[in-house]
Amino acid sequence: MEQRILVVDDDPALAEMIGIVLRAEGFTPSFCADGSGALATFRAVRPDLVLLDLMLPGLDGVSVCSALREESGVPIIMLTAKSDPQDVVGGLEAGADDYIVKPFNPKELVARIRTRLRPAPRVSGDLVTIGDLELDVAGHEVRRGATKIALTPLEFELLLALAGKPEQVFTREMLLEQVWGYQYKADTRLVNVHVQRLRAKIEEDPDNPRIVTTVRGVGYRAGS
Amino acid sequence: MPSWLDVRVWWARATRRWRTSLALRTIAITVGLSMLASVIVGATIAISVGANLFDARRDQLLTLSQNATVQVQLVFDRAAEDQTAELDPVLQDAASVIRSAAATTSGGTQFAIQVAPGQPVSGSQITSRSPNLDVDAIATPELAEAVATEDESRVWSQSAGVVRDDGSIAPTLVTGSKLQVQGRDYVLFLVYDISDTAQTLAQIQGTLLGAGVALILLIGAVTWLVLRLVVGPIQVAAETSRRLAGGDLDVRLPVRGDDVIATLARSFNGMAESLRGQIVQLADLSTVQQRFVSDVSHELRTPLTTIRLAGDVLYDRRHELPADSVRTVELLHTQIERFETLLADLLEMSRYDAGAVEMEVEPVNLVRLIEDEIEAVESLAATKGSELRLHAEGGWFEAEVDPRRIRRVMQNLLGNAIDHGEGRPISIWIDSDADAVAIAVRDHGVGIAPADLERVFDRFWRADPSRQRTTGGTGLGLAISLEDAALHGGWLEAWSAPGAGSCFRLTLPRRRGRSITASPLPLPPDDPAERGITMGGDHVAD
Repeated sequence: MEQRILVVDDDPALAEMIGIVLRAEGFTPSFCADGSGALATFRAVRPDLVLLDLMLPGLDGVSVCSALREESGVPIIMLTAKSDPQDVVGGLEAGADDYIVKPFNPKELVARIRTRLRPAPRVSGDLVTIGDLELDVAGHEVRRGATKIALTPLEFELLLALAGKPEQVFTREMLLEQVWGYQYKADTRLVNVHVQRLRAKIEEDPDNPRIVTTVRGVGYRAGS
Repeated sequence: MPSWLDVRVWWARATRRWRTSLALRTIAITVGLSMLASVIVGATIAISVGANLFDARRDQLLTLSQNATVQVQLVFDRAAEDQTAELDPVLQDAASVIRSAAATTSGGTQFAIQVAPGQPVSGSQITSRSPNLDVDAIATPELAEAVATEDESRVWSQSAGVVRDDGSIAPTLVTGSKLQVQGRDYVLFLVYDISDTAQTLAQIQGTLLGAGVALILLIGAVTWLVLRLVVGPIQVAAETSRRLAGGDLDVRLPVRGDDVIATLARSFNGMAESLRGQIVQLADLSTVQQRFVSDVSHELRTPLTTIRLAGDVLYDRRHELPADSVRTVELLHTQIERFETLLADLLEMSRYDAGAVEMEVEPVNLVRLIEDEIEAVESLAATKGSELRLHAEGGWFEAEVDPRRIRRVMQNLLGNAIDHGEGRPISIWIDSDADAVAIAVRDHGVGIAPADLERVFDRFWRADPSRQRTTGGTGLGLAISLEDAALHGGWLEAWSAPGAGSCFRLTLPRRRGRSITASPLPLPPDDPAERGITMGGDHVAD
């Protein structure tokens, strides 16, 4: 089955060019040129992944990102012309899984998309427990007792990576490689922001985390 | 010794207070000078009044003595005519005449009649004196001498002090005049107590002193008041300037009245207003500049992305293209990459110029970071024939730096070293001390001419325009690296010896916000491999 990708970008030339690249890789692209129509197009297309420009007419990219996250855990990759820290962090905090700084090349774009669309790695056993949480690997679900906690695929993968080897300390670089697929030198803020988002969902007191703990100067681990 | 007992502490405090307090200094100088003036004026008045008082009193007493002398002489002359008269009654007459003639002073008058010095002492002689008067102790021989030797019958005088019964000394005036009885010369001494005059003088002096002290206190108070009026507004102005300098652009001085202080306040407020206007204008310009940079960033990058994607799609399919198009596509591909790097560097530089740069500090092990960077360029170095050697003598700790920026600096320094290293070994040092950590990259290439060394950090400057570059530098690399180092509060310095290569040393504080005073590494670092044979000799000498 062909995977659908929604490209939200106001520049027609770039959108078309991205479409050419995506089609060549076997994806089915659909397009939306402004922020205010993005949500409606998303509901109509039900894409497997969204490529979202940060600077959009109508509604800006960060707001679109938040709105998408309200109703879906769909992987979102931001396209940003700016590498200014505030913009990137704003998008990540709004729920974007990853970002690509313009100008990017086709290989980079496709690699990022494939990483986000690949199936989660199988861990031995279908049920992983960490703290008082149960991870249903096959069903992509996290439960605390009878309560289901909704995580995005990326958050699930991040938690699964940590919970798969409890007590092992993961450096940010290790997580970037395992979860985001970066081989070398990526932005560690990706990890920081998503660990914060994950904690906000799974920790009973996010300011005093017990499931995903920080190892100062090194990284993170599951369990204290 | 407790500090409050230490004289030096007090002296130091006093001198500091003297230096820092304008009010203290002004009051002290004013009071001191007026005190000096008062003392001079007061002393002059006291001395002249005293002298006048004494002179007037003496003249009065001399007249009294003159009268008494004339009357006593009359008594004696009448007795001489009356041969039968007894001497004793005559003397008593004389004594009563003296008392009545000279008893006008409040302190009382005493007298003595003695044979004048130089007269024969034989025969009968008369002596008479007030009881308890030891005239020899009071009158000096010079006085008696003067009375005796001068022919004129004038009255002589002398000041003296008489010890009273209670031990105090009464100021006294002694007069001496000549009497002639039975052909012999006698001296009539009259001793006047003039303590009433001294008392008057003391009263005047006391009044003068009191007036002087009151005057000085008044001057001090007036000075203080004037200072309050003048220095007060100056202090307010100083405080306001300080706040203005501290960035509070809306502070103003209160303007009261129409005097010089008000003029100062108005000028100050005018200056503050114009300063605020200019700063606001500059801030606006800076905002415009930052927005411009951001807009350029977006506007340029979006078409560039399209071009890049298109170029890469073509490049990936170059095998399907006709042979003459292949090279075109290859050129397009490399030049897009170059353009991209150039744009990224330009934007970074603009961000620095706009002051819109933020550090993202995290604990970083710089040795690991350098190892990563060396690994990344090792294959490139190998193609040029350079071997990369790391000497990690320190730096095995978590320094608070922005790793993205330090990586960029290292990429730059390593890229430059490989470009200009002439295929010879490249050494990288890292060392640290309590405050700082330093990284040095040393190549053994042609080096940089001294005149050029000053310009290596200039934008778009190239040592040798004809030199072929392999790492695709933009000419902004070192300029950005210098800004990156400065952002950390650190230094980036260059050393070079033509023919022997060059060395770039990056020194950073270990903790964010700390300042550094020295680098843990010399520039260039000592290379044991270079010292070669002399190294052994050094050890023998030790």
